[in-house]
Amino acid sequence: MPAPSAAESRFGEIESHRAYLMRYALAQLRDAQLAEEAVQEALLAALESIGGFDGRSSLRTWLTSILRFKVVDLQRRAIKERAHESLDEEHVGGDDEGWLDDHFDETGHWRVPPQAWSDPEASLDQRRFWEAFEHCLSGLSSMAGRVFFRREVLGDDTAAICKDENITASNCWVILHRARIALRGCLEANWFGEARSRGR
Amino acid sequence: MAADSRVDCRRASRLLSLACERELDTAEVQALRRHLDACLMCRNFSAQLDFMRKAAKKYSRG
Repeated sequence: MPAPSAAESRFGEIESHRAYLMRYALAQLRDAQLAEEAVQEALLAALESIGGFDGRSSLRTWLTSILRFKVVDLQRRAIKERAHESLDEEHVGGDDEGWLDDHFDETGHWRVPPQAWSDPEASLDQRRFWEAFEHCLSGLSSMAGRVFFRREVLGDDTAAICKDENITASNCWVILHRARIALRGCLEANWFGEARSRGR
Repeated sequence: MAADSRVDCRRASRLLSLACERELDTAEVQALRRHLDACLMCRNFSAQLDFMRKAAKKYSRG
């Protein structure tokens, strides 16, 4: 088989950021179809203008800046098309924290005690860690995934997120708390637990 | 926080998460500190929160 051409390998490199870009678009647009559209348009635009990428920022950062324009564009179009539409999403019960019972027993103790993760920083350089990270993000409910992404990945203000999601601050906190607990459990089960058993 | 200043893991984890969103008041800080001094599991959770935040930031740069 001939070696991949420069254009092909560039395409592959850009493609490898698709999952991240999809999360970014979903967090803003809250609609899978629109998000898909935005990412598709952004990737096409990126391929056309890859020559303008000077490598001063990371490729992901550059791709995200292109996607941002597409997202804003689609947001404008969507607002025009659907004057108002209620969220078809899971409803967030006000003070209902029954979900915590899955994680804590009657005496308030952890059901699965958090372990000490050995040398977590080293994981940040491992491709397989990021696969586990994305796998665990995918396990969150769609709303929790969006809120967590905007809060922790993009560093958005909680107030702005609450407003866009149409929820109260305390609901927002519950969702974030829930997401963090779910994520830490998933990472421990799928990455740090395994890492320990491999003897690293 | 309420008169009952005893904090179990359930409440401690909640305060730890809340501390990422807003400043805790003095009573909350004291209650949380007392719990953390005695609880390795929640200290682990606290370290995991810090790490996940760092990982999430790095995720945005790729």
